[in-house]
Amino acid sequence: MKCHIPGSNVKVLGRTVHALARFGDELYLESLPDCILLRTLNAAESAYAMVKFNKSFFSYFNYNYFSTEDNEGLKCKISMKSALNTFKSPMHMDKQVENLEIKLDPEACKLIFQLKCRHGIVKTHFISILDCKAMQAVYTKDTVPNRITSPQRILAEALNNFQSSDDQVTLEASPNSLILRNYIDCSMDLTKIIRTQITLKPAEFDSYTIGTETIITFSLKEFRALLAFAEALNLPLQVHFETTGRPAVFIVHNGTTFEAHFVLATTKPDSATQATSTQNTTMERNKRKDASSTGGSAKKKPHLDVDISKCLDEDSHLFNFIDMPEDIVMNDELISSVNKSIVNGKDRGKVDLMDCDNIPGSPTSKTTIKSVFKRCFESTFDPRSLVGSVLAENSDSD
Amino acid sequence: MDSGKTLCSLLKAIQFQESAVFCALPEGLKLTVEEGKCVQASAYVPSDNFAEYHVRDDVDVMFKISIAVLAECLNIFGSLEESSLKMYYRGEGSPLLLVLQPTSVNNVMTDCEISTQTADSVLELRDEDAEEVAKLVLKAPAFLGLLADLERSCDIIELNLSPEHPNVSIVTYGMQDRSCIDMPKSSDMVQSFSCEQPITLKYQLHHIRLIMKALAISTKVVLRCSSNGLLLLQLKLEKEDQRQMFSEFYIIPLLDD
Repeated sequence: MKCHIPGSNVKVLGRTVHALARFGDELYLESLPDCILLRTLNAAESAYAMVKFNKSFFSYFNYNYFSTEDNEGLKCKISMKSALNTFKSPMHMDKQVENLEIKLDPEACKLIFQLKCRHGIVKTHFISILDCKAMQAVYTKDTVPNRITSPQRILAEALNNFQSSDDQVTLEASPNSLILRNYIDCSMDLTKIIRTQITLKPAEFDSYTIGTETIITFSLKEFRALLAFAEALNLPLQVHFETTGRPAVFIVHNGTTFEAHFVLATTKPDSATQATSTQNTTMERNKRKDASSTGGSAKKKPHLDVDISKCLDEDSHLFNFIDMPEDIVMNDELISSVNKSIVNGKDRGKVDLMDCDNIPGSPTSKTTIKSVFKRCFESTFDPRSLVGSVLAENSDSD
Repeated sequence: MDSGKTLCSLLKAIQFQESAVFCALPEGLKLTVEEGKCVQASAYVPSDNFAEYHVRDDVDVMFKISIAVLAECLNIFGSLEESSLKMYYRGEGSPLLLVLQPTSVNNVMTDCEISTQTADSVLELRDEDAEEVAKLVLKAPAFLGLLADLERSCDIIELNLSPEHPNVSIVTYGMQDRSCIDMPKSSDMVQSFSCEQPITLKYQLHHIRLIMKALAISTKVVLRCSSNGLLLLQLKLEKEDQRQMFSEFYIIPLLDD
């Protein structure tokens, strides 16, 4: 495969690589007879991105440059760091770079990026190929009931109101309004966090179709990255989603030259703490910061009782709760994490990882220690308190 | 001297060591710093930059001084304020006296006294026997752009010079990857190029990066390679009044294993 990209499009490619770098650590490149696909997947396998560059994106495109018999697409996997190194500063690239040539030889072990810059300087990057496999995620985007097309600014501006420490966002879609809210883990202390909620009216979007009302929660980091990408390229963003547990697909495309799909796994919001009984839909944008934990604990209890047996079945090999009924607070934390794992098996690894800070210390072993070395914990050790027969008599005085 | 500002930025460009050897020669002032006997950087201010310049020529005027303190004193009225500068030094053991007067305010004056130390010996890296094998004159801002684009994670930079195309190529080896920058002599950032036979030299990228601060304030850079591999970079800083100041870097090459 050999292709040339004109200077103005190099910037687009640079932006793409930077956006993909926010998703995963590895970049998969696949060349097909009429397009090039770049893909990446994050480590937790909860976010996937695919960008397709059509033939018209290139000034020269030869899929069969090195061989003629190979009809299957060329594939390779490279490290994202190497790719980023090639596109160090995408903002200035269009001014410096006149032409970019990408060469992929099926026989070679290097992917070659050759940048022809101003002043007649040629920069060549020989990037090691790590693997020759391709990766493909399965998702549906055309048959889903909910579709929104948003101008690039709206969602980015809405997200600016969120705290940088927020890591997930909940999107509540109904035919009349779209509510964005930061996701709050119920293990967090509700008195110490800021809750942010923003309501957007359908009129603000270019198109707005909600077939079935739904609430989805997904990662904010990748969402921010893809919004920045859409904003940098000045293109609208399409959101296609179904319901909780099914992936949400974000599409940025520019007619015929390229198309980017960003797929994020969704989780179910925790209804116990996230309940919003009062929804102010009269205001166009309603930013509510609420630091109090009203009603959260009251609703939580019955919800948890139902799930407690399930939780014990699931994780009894890991944590033994039978001997410590007093530790309800700890249980709450654990159950919430288990609930999530049950709801969405796909995100499980990530959730468990996030909650590993909350693993309770081992109180059972502490009690054992107390009974074995009980005397050590008494204020004064008195040998006379020892009851029982003398096992070894005192030896003779001489 | 009318303004201490340029001198201050020149000092900051070579400020990778605590103290410098301050040397007043009849031709001008020279401040030298060394990094691990591998890199020697000098700031050179020709005497025509000064309105008045007197140096005793019967003794070596040479002492050690903290660059950070000197730069701070020159900048005592803030970086926006131009101030005229007078420098005095009596003799060995006595402090360096600076008198600064801001141009915009009358009747304000600062008197700084910086204590000095006896100078260490300065490395003589120049070898008279080694002839110059290549000389390259480049535009400093464009060269800075190239260096800034190099990958930070790699240690070694390879410089290939040859009379044939591509005349200059800079190769860096990263973790798995190799990057290569080719620059023909026809490029408009190359102002002059002379090289008789192909030559390959390796340097620590860390050492090369030390010149970046100086490059940022310079207009032109001259690279000279001698036959023993020593790289000399001479950077020219042009002031508004057409006077020039220079910085010089000697960099020791890496030898092949």
